[in-house]
This record gives sequence, structure tokens and C-alpha cells, in this order.
Amino acid sequence: MSNFIFGRYLPGHSWIHRMSPQSKLLLSFYFVIVIFFANNGYSYGLLSALIVFVILMSGVSIAYFLKGIRPLIWLIVFTVLLQVLFSSGGHVLWHFGPFSITDQSLINGGFIFIRFLLIIMISTVLTLTTTPLAIADGVQTVLKPLKKVKFPVDTLALMLSIALRFVPTLMDEMETILNAQRARGVDFGSGSLKHRVKAAVPLLVPLFTGAINHAENLSTAMEARGFSDSEHRTKYRLYKWQFRDTISWIVFLLVGGLVLVFRKY
Amino acid sequence: MDKAISLKNVTHTYQANTPFAQNALDNVTLNIEKGEFTAIIGHTGSGKSTLVQHINALLKPTTGSLNVLGKVITPTTTNKNLKAFRKQVGMVFQFPEKQLFEETVIKDIMFGPKNYGATDEQARHSAEHAMKLVGLDHSLSNKSPFDLSGGQMRRVAIAGVLAMDPEILILDEPTAGLDPRGHNEIMDLAKYLNQQQHMTIILITHQMDDVVNYATNVVVMDQGQAVKIGPPDTIFTDLDWLRKMQLDLPSSAEFARKLESAGIAFDQLPLTVNQLVDRVAQLVGKKAAHE
Amino acid sequence: MQNIIEVNKISYNYPERSLLFDNLSLNVREGEWLALIGQNGSGKSTLARLIDGLLVLKSGAITVDGLPVNDENINEIRNRIGIVFQNPEDQFVGATVEDDVAFGLENRQVPREQMHEIVEKSLKSVGMWQFRERIPANLSGGQKQRVAIAGIIALHPKIIILDEATSMLDPQGRNDILQLVRDLKEDNHLTVISITHDIDEAAGADRVVILNQGQIIDENTPDGIFAQPQRLKQIGLDAPYPAKVIEALSRRGITSDKQYMNDEELIAWIKQLVSRM
Repeated sequence: MSNFIFGRYLPGHSWIHRMSPQSKLLLSFYFVIVIFFANNGYSYGLLSALIVFVILMSGVSIAYFLKGIRPLIWLIVFTVLLQVLFSSGGHVLWHFGPFSITDQSLINGGFIFIRFLLIIMISTVLTLTTTPLAIADGVQTVLKPLKKVKFPVDTLALMLSIALRFVPTLMDEMETILNAQRARGVDFGSGSLKHRVKAAVPLLVPLFTGAINHAENLSTAMEARGFSDSEHRTKYRLYKWQFRDTISWIVFLLVGGLVLVFRKY
Repeated sequence: MDKAISLKNVTHTYQANTPFAQNALDNVTLNIEKGEFTAIIGHTGSGKSTLVQHINALLKPTTGSLNVLGKVITPTTTNKNLKAFRKQVGMVFQFPEKQLFEETVIKDIMFGPKNYGATDEQARHSAEHAMKLVGLDHSLSNKSPFDLSGGQMRRVAIAGVLAMDPEILILDEPTAGLDPRGHNEIMDLAKYLNQQQHMTIILITHQMDDVVNYATNVVVMDQGQAVKIGPPDTIFTDLDWLRKMQLDLPSSAEFARKLESAGIAFDQLPLTVNQLVDRVAQLVGKKAAHE
Repeated sequence: MQNIIEVNKISYNYPERSLLFDNLSLNVREGEWLALIGQNGSGKSTLARLIDGLLVLKSGAITVDGLPVNDENINEIRNRIGIVFQNPEDQFVGATVEDDVAFGLENRQVPREQMHEIVEKSLKSVGMWQFRERIPANLSGGQKQRVAIAGIIALHPKIIILDEATSMLDPQGRNDILQLVRDLKEDNHLTVISITHDIDEAAGADRVVILNQGQIIDENTPDGIFAQPQRLKQIGLDAPYPAKVIEALSRRGITSDKQYMNDEELIAWIKQLVSRM
């Protein structure tokens, strides 16, 4: 039972689920870029409102999204603290040695926090509502122009799809190996750095050995199932550009435009 | 007899306080005595693995408490001091060969003892003893475990647990995927450890013939609850109930039922070949006396 | 009956290993259920891989449905043979159930409209249609094997090879899968080769071949094979249940002139022993 959320697609039929993966992929990238143009309360407020709307439209419980933050919480806290303690400008509210907190740094810290949340949320929406295969298909379409220069786009997409498909398998296996070695007296997550690195060996070797075994068996099975050349296959799934994609693009472009306008305030 | 393991109202909730929350164990109370051979049965997902992972504190109860060899484990037990405790409770996971990682067989088996503070010499001694127990030839010591056959790798992994000299040994479907010879060797090893070394054995299995041939005590799990606990002959009595639990009958019980429908009566459903044959021999004897 | 597979005097060894097969020959008849038994390492799975062209022969020849197994025919051969492998996890290529069934069709460049029809039909035939959107992590081992079988049925093969396909399943999953394959065999006129060390699985076959250290040491009907329980034990296999009863009875002085009977024969014999007045 893994807490890991990435790669765990949740089946559904929401508006977001039924968008084409290409749109979702590109809109996610686009949204991340827009985030970096936001620089004040209006724009962050607008982007937050949009993400809340998207989450509601996805039909997935908000708790799933909050879980997605957990593994990254220390990274977020650290970065926000750094921003709060070391940035200058504005009224100094408190200072001690090299550290100082100003009203401006507090606001910046808050923005960075929101920025993190927004990025995690949009990527979580993407992975929760899009099957790994569809994401891989999305990548395939987005990269299609590269085919002209003989870049193996289809192979890459298939590799990506299989890699994503095996994420939960390997996570479960890691959990079992972790437990098995704990039962043999390994102390993970305590002691010096050297000790911890040493403790990782009994975890990583079996994990890699297992992954290689999976890969070997899988390639045999794929061959037996008639796979030979990833560049000449028909596709079971067709992701057509739909009306809902057009609408979504209009909404996102509009929000992006507004963020640019808000920069002036 | 002394209690080796005692669970009191143990409930375990996976991912508590999230939308994924589900009770994997639901108010389980049970006692296992020292020296017993206990089989834990139940269909896939009934909570067997979750149960045994509590016994060596890889999982802690969400509510309730357990006492294993005098060590009390509650929801608030910290991970400190668990190491010494885990040494006493050996755990062989499903497909344990997946945990092998060292360059040589002997090093892998020595890994456990060394983690528990044994010197190289002590660890090597324990490892060699464990190899003997599981029937691995000494000549394999310096081979890479990854060059061995599947059955041999399984035995290296089990030796790695036995080398820690545990008092309780938990085996989670130890024979899955093995051929019949490998299966019998592992089951005979469990029997030997139980009878000769007085180890308390806990076996998770789907094979009812192993339950009746080896176990002295059976725990039936269903939906996270221990629904029935007792010696094998008290478990395999109510056929409708067994079907509801999605459990098979042992081969001999199955065969005895066919004999019954052919008109041969049994006072008690036989569970093993010997029990079945005893009854048949008795009936034949009676007939001979009659004549 | 016609032979659908002919294995003719083949030799094979894995790189840097000694010869596993030396001059091995075996025919599989069209429409039969052949059980290939033997302990781990006896060469059962290797033989299956050679028949499907997944490994290359050192010498000798194999023909499948009249076609020699070689590079030229490989696609045709694999259209005719479907293999269900041992580990349910390692043959699930697709992200979801339906994508996985489609994988083989995509490889064969089946047009999309047809694919959807075939996937639906195949999944319905194994009882997995309602699970079509599930990801592999949310399926049991038995369900994954069902999906694997649907992926095979989708391609209308003539032969299904079960390569220890039930050995990682619980007893219920095992029985379900075997029953499913039996039904599909009837409906689709398939030939089945089941590679197994489960004696009960072998008991349901038309013919049993015992492989030991790369050699066929016997082939017969299940009853004929089981008539020598001692030999089965010698090569590391289990004696079938009735043989165990007969052996236990003889230890109590109740002897039979036969070493093996099937369930019905054994029941009749015991009845006779007990009730003859």
C-alpha cells in the first residue's frame, strides 16, 4: 500500500478526464509558464481560482490532491523559509544575524508557497485524470514533428507508457523489500549519512534486480504477442480534438492574458 | 504452556484519515502458544499478511495492543528498541528470494546476524548452521545467489532469516511457485524447526493439505477478522461455512465426501490420508471379523 | 488426428550452458490438451519458447500448423500461438485492461474500428468486460491472467500454451483459469499445451508428457502416467491423490494389484472392500 500518488490514474468520466491528453499535457506546461508571470495577489488569486475550478471539474476528491503535497512538504517549507529569511526589501519586522523578515519577504514567501501548490495541483490533475498510456500518447503527438529528423517518437512513447505502468508495481515491491530488510535488522532512516547510504544497498540491489527481471520477462511476453517494431502499429485509442478542448484553451488563454495584464498593477 | 503471541482487540487501518482508509484488521483477539505450528488461512485480501506484519512490529496497531514474547506493542510504540525485538521474530516474506542482494550466498545469510551485532566469526558460524538446516550444500557458500536456481534462492533467503536464530518464524506462503519437491522440502523444514528446535511457526497458506498435515492450530481470517481459531479438526467441519469463506477442503476430506455419497459412512470427516485410510481399514477389519 | 506442432530432433542450449535438449522430438495433435510436466529446470518452458520462435534452435526443426519456425514465418507462427506466462505482472503491457488486450492487435496493425469490436468480444468471453478501465495494480493475479487470455483470444490463435500460468495463483484463481481455458478450448477448437507441475492440472489433460533433464521420459494418458507414482516422486513430482490412498492402504495390509486408479475406480474398489459380505 503505497502513499505514492504519481502514476495512480483514477478512472472517471469528468470533463477533464475526457479532454484529449495532448491538450491536457500542453495546457499543463502552459499553466506552469503562466505561473512564473504572476507577480501579485490578483494574478495568484486568479490562478488559484482556476485551479480550484479545474479540480472541481475533475470530479476527484480534494483529499487526493492534498496527499500529493505530502512527499514534497519539506522541500516547500525549506524553499519558503529561505525566501522569507533571506530576501530583502520592505519594512524589517524582525532580524537576527544574517536573517531578517520583512513584510515584503513574507509576501514573497506566500507567493512561492502558492506557486508550489499550483504546480503540484496542475500536474496532479494531469496524472490523476489521464492514463499513463494517454500521457505517453500525448507526448507522442506533441513530439511528432521530431519524426522528420528520424527521432524514434513512437518508441519513446511506448517506453514511457510502460515505465509509468510499472511505477505502482515497483513501489509495492520496494515496500516489501524495505520490510524484509527491516525484519533482517536494517535501520533505514536513522544514523549518519554514511550509515544511511550503506543501508540503501540492500534496498537498491534487489529493487534493480527485480526491475531487470520484469524487463526481461516483459520483453519476452511482448515479443510473443507480436511486437517487433514500435514505429508501425495501429492505435487502439484515438484522442480527437474536441469542443471541450477548444473551450479549455479559451479559458486558459484568457487567464494567461489576464495575468499579463495584472502584472502592470 | 507459555503464550508466545497475544493480540488484544487489534485493529489496523491503512491510510487512516484519508479517502483510501480501509480496515485491514478489525478487532482481532487471539493467542498463540509457544511451540505451536499455526496456519493462517483465508482468501486473498482477508488480512493474513497484515496480521503477521504486526507480529514483528513492521506494522503497528491503529488501536488495540499485542504482546509478543513479552514485548508489548501499542499504537504509540516507537521504532526505537524494536530492532532487538525483531531479531526474535523471523519473517519470511512471499517470494523471499527477492530480498537477496549480497555478492555471495554466505554473505547474504550473514547479513541479518551482523545487523544484530554478531562478529564476522559468529555470523559465519550462524550462517553455516542455517545453510545446513535448509539443506544448502557448503560448496555454494561463495557463489553468487543470483546464479542459483529458484528453489535454491528461496532456501538462501530462508537461511538468512534462520541465521538470526529467531524464536518465532513467520512464513508467508513459503512454497508459492515451487515445484512439488521444493514444496515438500520447505514444509518438512518447517516441521523440523517446530518439532526439533521448538520454534513457534506461523504459516500463511492457501493449501489446505499443508494445513492438516503440518499445523496444530488454525486461524481463519475473513474481512480483517479472525473468524475461527482452533485445531484443524474443528475448522473443517461446516462445509457451507467453508464455502462462504472461499476455502477448499483438504483432498482427503473432499475424497471422503465422495465415498460418503457412495454409501461409506464416516463418523468424523477425515482430514489426512492416514485418517481416511484408518477408517477404511477399520471398516474392512470389521467386515473381516464379521465373516 | 493431424499434428499441429512437430518438434523434430531438436538441440538447444543456453549460452555457456551444456546441451539442454539433444535430439528431442515431440508431436502435438490438433485439438488435444497436452500436459507437459517435469520439475523446475527440466526444460518445459524452454521448449515452449522454442516453439514460439522466442529462442533459436541449435539444430533440428519445428513446424507449427505446417509452417517451419524461422524468421520468415515468425509473425504467422505467433498469430497461431498464444502464450500465457507464469507471472501475471510481467505480461501486462497496457495501462488498462482494454489497452492491454489491444496491444497484440496494434502490433498486427488491425484497424481501429475493428479493434474496439474485438476487444469487447474478447473481454466478454473471459468475463472481464466490466473491468475494462482498471489498471493492473487494481487487479488480482487471476484477473490479470484472464486479461492475458483475452489478449490471446483476440488474435484467434489455434494453440494456447499455458506456461505455468496458474502457479502463482491461489487455488480458486487456479481452478477458475483452468475452467476458462477448458471452455475456450471447446468454443474455439483450440489445441492446449499446459506446462505445469500441478498433478491435478495434468489429470485433466488428454495426454501427458514427462520431461526430465531435457528428455521425454514418458508419454501416455494421465491414468497411464499416474500408474507409476513412484517414478513421479523420483523425478520430483507429486503422486496423484488416489495413489497416496492406495499406498497408505497397502501399508495397512490392504493391497491392490493396481498402483493407480482414478477417483471413480478407487471409490468402487473401497466400496467393494467394505461391503462385500
